[in-house]
Amino acid sequence: MDLLGQYLINGLMLGTIYALVAVGFTLFFGVLDVIKFSHGDVLMVGAFTGFTAASAAGALGFSHPLAQLAATVVFALAGTALLGAAVAKWLILPLKNAPRLNILLATLMLGTALRESVRLFYPDGSNPKAFPSLLPTSAWQFGNFTLRADSAILVVTGIAVIVGLHLLINRTRLGLAIRAVAQDEETARTMGINYTLIVLVTFALGSGIAAVAGVMDGLYYNEINFGMGLLLGLIGFSAAIIGGLGNLYGAILGGFLFAALQMVGAVAMPFASAYKDVFAFAVVIALMAWKPTGLIPERSSDRV
Amino acid sequence: MTQALSRVPAFAVAAVTILLGLVFAIVFMEQESDVAVISLIALAAVAAWAGTRAGVAARVSEAAVERPGGIALLVAAGMAVLMGVFVEDHFPLLMLATVMIYATVALGLNVQFGYTGVVNFAGAAFFGIGAYTSAKVASSGLPPILSLPLGAMFAAVIGLLLVIPVVRTRGHYAAVVTIAFSVLFKTFLEVNDALGGPQGLSVGAMKLFGWDFGDGPTMFGVDASFYLNYALMALAMLSLVFVLVRRLERSWLGLSLDAVRLDETGAACYGIGIRRSKIFAFVLGNAIIGLAGALYGCMQGYVAPTSFTFSDSLILVAIVLLGGMGSPWGTILAAAIVVILPEKLQAIQEYRFLLFSAVVIAILLFRPAGLLPRGVRRYFPPARKGAQ
Amino acid sequence: MSDTLLSLEGIAKSFGGVRALNDVSFGVERGQILGLIGPNGSGKTTSFNVLTGLYRPDGGRIVFDGADLTGASPQAVYRAGIARTFQRSRLCLELSIFDNIMVGNHGRLNQGLFYNLFNRKALKAEVDAAYAEAMALATLFSPNLGDAMFAPVGALPMIERRRIEICRALIAQPKLLLLDEPSAGMTHDETHQLMSDILAVRERLGGLSIIIIEHEMGVIERVCDRCVVLNYGEKIAEGSYQEVASDRLVQEAYLGSA
Repeated sequence: MDLLGQYLINGLMLGTIYALVAVGFTLFFGVLDVIKFSHGDVLMVGAFTGFTAASAAGALGFSHPLAQLAATVVFALAGTALLGAAVAKWLILPLKNAPRLNILLATLMLGTALRESVRLFYPDGSNPKAFPSLLPTSAWQFGNFTLRADSAILVVTGIAVIVGLHLLINRTRLGLAIRAVAQDEETARTMGINYTLIVLVTFALGSGIAAVAGVMDGLYYNEINFGMGLLLGLIGFSAAIIGGLGNLYGAILGGFLFAALQMVGAVAMPFASAYKDVFAFAVVIALMAWKPTGLIPERSSDRV
Repeated sequence: MTQALSRVPAFAVAAVTILLGLVFAIVFMEQESDVAVISLIALAAVAAWAGTRAGVAARVSEAAVERPGGIALLVAAGMAVLMGVFVEDHFPLLMLATVMIYATVALGLNVQFGYTGVVNFAGAAFFGIGAYTSAKVASSGLPPILSLPLGAMFAAVIGLLLVIPVVRTRGHYAAVVTIAFSVLFKTFLEVNDALGGPQGLSVGAMKLFGWDFGDGPTMFGVDASFYLNYALMALAMLSLVFVLVRRLERSWLGLSLDAVRLDETGAACYGIGIRRSKIFAFVLGNAIIGLAGALYGCMQGYVAPTSFTFSDSLILVAIVLLGGMGSPWGTILAAAIVVILPEKLQAIQEYRFLLFSAVVIAILLFRPAGLLPRGVRRYFPPARKGAQ
Repeated sequence: MSDTLLSLEGIAKSFGGVRALNDVSFGVERGQILGLIGPNGSGKTTSFNVLTGLYRPDGGRIVFDGADLTGASPQAVYRAGIARTFQRSRLCLELSIFDNIMVGNHGRLNQGLFYNLFNRKALKAEVDAAYAEAMALATLFSPNLGDAMFAPVGALPMIERRRIEICRALIAQPKLLLLDEPSAGMTHDETHQLMSDILAVRERLGGLSIIIIEHEMGVIERVCDRCVVLNYGEKIAEGSYQEVASDRLVQEAYLGSA
């Protein structure tokens, strides 16, 4: 029972992180019909920015964990939001009319560039960094099962971010503008919406959410490294794809589904838990064979 | 200049250009210092720019249209001369062989997404399948030469596992299939004990009719490096694959593949089997990549998961893109640049992934057709003027 | 002469609850030119897409030249002898004029793997023959095209692209040609010229049937033997141009019902 509970909380945790990443992919696809594969590495940059901010805050004498946490979150969010908007402005918008594969490739390469830059230029960037524990460490005991407060806080925060995003998209003027741009560039422009601005804001928003995921990942594992974004980005992309691109709920579903697959893989093959990623990705490939446009398919767009 | 140039036969212009390229390659390979290497790169860039401005490039591509076979032979001969010059040195021969192996791989990828539009971000995985096959063949006691056909076959067969999702999906959805496979494959290698886990496996030397590739042959009193064997075999393999891919492109089949890439709906309305074309391209491409991987395994003497990561797949894709999608000559040129530059410039060795990603982004932004853009298809060289 | 080449019987097609085609029936006789007209969104192009196998009909039957083509793949429809053009040009812009025309010739070219890779001599003869044929067809439409058979299509003006698209549809000598708004994006004179060319080629091929979707009524009046009018996915009239033009339902459909 305790082991199962552990798997459950772990799966919930991972699912939340994956969903946060996947939501970014689906937002970008929604407004521009592009895949920004550097998303995972933007997340990594967010985690490193947060880490740097926490260390700097500590060095400046703000030793209270809450102060450090605030610094971490503010700087991680701001840094990735700016980075996301910059990528959209200088890499993605100029390539808007190029073949879609070119944008995928360009952002894949950008991801590599970000990853390598951190590895080469961040002080001792090639080694993992110990992310500080900034959350309360108390725990609740339910029979054999221990629920740690930090896990609970992280999961609740992540879900709150997802709900907040949902409200933002569906209940605010900004959300309306994003949805209009996602529908059709021309219509959005005739409605008087500043198309470029909304695209940049969407990319900033999606990237900021990735930073949340990055910081969550750091706080949960107490470790970050320059390569963390590759796998997280790939999982987020897969989650967005199996959910069905451009669909917010599909992305969330995909994120939790992927985490569930990893947990099932780990439980079903305790003798070879290293195979859990192999299992999860194999299922992704099989899902693509079964539902080539995702579980919740996007609107068909090939006009004849 | 352009005027004078137009009076010289195109083929002569091309021959001189290839000869200059050969001289450059010899000088370049001999340099040790970073300063000399960087100066030579700058020289080459200026020469390429000036040559394009003066119309040399146009004349050379004219020659490539009129006498494609002649140009190919000249380049192959140039390669052979290059090997002859460095016959005793391990390092340059290893470089040359690696370039030719990577060029072969990139030609396979070209069939897949250069022609047919089937994206494959798992090139390094199929390359790895070929390489691991060579390790298994070597340790099983089978004749090592069998690792080449078997490597090609295993890559093609394992690729078949992906055929249904690859064929049914399009665009981004297809990309995720091969990306997932790429990561899955590397993880699988790392955790699988039968394949040596993270340490990998060692591979025995290639043997052909009692000729052991691990020993350097002695010819005309020269003790050649044992890499000469592999370089020669790589040249033979590249030539074979090049001719095959070239013929494929310049045939009705090549046209069908192009039509599938450019407009699936239109192609279907003109009777072209979309699935058939995609499966054909995917399987053929993987077989070519696996073949190259098998030779690579034998040459390296060991295989390990770290050589077949997703980042390596990206480098392979970068070669295709850098050279120009669907352009075989561009592919070879790009393979040479991508393989040799970081090896010669030790200063940038550490930065190579960063540099390549920057270069590819620049190419995508400013020269999306690549270094040597693919020309319009000529099924056969046009009849030469006055050659009745 | 009631030699029916194609008949659509009670074709129905919906997209997510929206009825794009509802019980549509019409036929084409051999050698006839049928005009398919109606307001935007009335189901004209959808009929073409169902007919060419891009969409599977929800109900009804398609019989072509004695064979049942209901739900057949686009490839099978092409092999049966139906070729089409598209409303928005679907040429491969990177490929040469010759290549684009040869895409339409797919079914008549030897697609064997061994043949294409290793029997280069036979392939050369086939390429040369196909080249002569494509050249003859292209120069019928536009004498300039003959000099530029290996120029990429992307470099050509719209009118030439339309012509090449029609050459692509005609090269394999189909029995039925489907033209989806050939006048789109062209001037009045260009359209007139294009239609004359199509009629001239039709004379040569003899017996080619055509279904044409067109908004320019002048074109319909000039070339069509018969017209079918669609509105909201249903057939509302059928007959000669004069007959349907004077039909009250048709006028209402075009002017908006009062």
